[in-house]
Amino acid sequence: MSFSINSNVSDVAEVGKVATIHLTGELDSLSARLFQKEIEKIALESPKDLVLDMENLSFMASAGLRVLIFSKQKIGPSLNIYIVKPQEPIVDTLEKTGLLHSVTIVDSYPS
Amino acid sequence: MESKIFPGTVESIDLIRQYIKEISAHAGLDKKATYNLMLAADEIATNIMLYGYEKAGLTGDLKVLHTITEEELVVIFEDQALPFDPLARELPDEEDLSKPLEERSIGGLGIFLTVSGIDDFSYEYVNNQNRNIFKMKLQKPD
Repeated sequence: MSFSINSNVSDVAEVGKVATIHLTGELDSLSARLFQKEIEKIALESPKDLVLDMENLSFMASAGLRVLIFSKQKIGPSLNIYIVKPQEPIVDTLEKTGLLHSVTIVDSYPS
Repeated sequence: MESKIFPGTVESIDLIRQYIKEISAHAGLDKKATYNLMLAADEIATNIMLYGYEKAGLTGDLKVLHTITEEELVVIFEDQALPFDPLARELPDEEDLSKPLEERSIGGLGIFLTVSGIDDFSYEYVNNQNRNIFKMKLQKPD
């Protein structure tokens, strides 16, 4: 299945730098490499909020979870991670692995 | 048992996932069970391709066998990489899983997801082959 990713960083009043990443398709160990590269690029800008649009992401393997962990470790513990409209099986995976407590699920950002 | 052979390369992982999806549909697994089986198959296939073959400098293939009985769907992965028991390493426990992200170690999540999503997952090494066995219970029609 195809995977695509694009990102941007913008300045938002009263928040600071916000990095937004749109993830589409299936996130497996191969595509997670692209995801990690994107995080490394974004980390240079030290964003306050990281917004991951997962509305069109249909699959996420543990390699994707590892990039979530990596992003917090790379950018810093004060980074807020928002996940926009994740599909049900992905929420299950986040819940099972205890990662759900470290992210905020939202319908849109800013809400 | 029906079988299909995939080259032992990372490019096959995606194709194996789609093949598992087809098998699951054929067996009548529901959406959630299908996703869990695809996820588990992805995790195990990734280990085999990346660590069993690529990083070890070995070449080989991954044979996916399956059979559907009245009670269950059984999928078996056979590969000729070095013996590797995915269940031998310690799985993250409750305490590990409740740690905040910044304190998380990065390993073990794939196997954890495999074991937790499959009704019966097992491993054996037979005739110089790794065999990873996934069993999913089938829901009886009402």
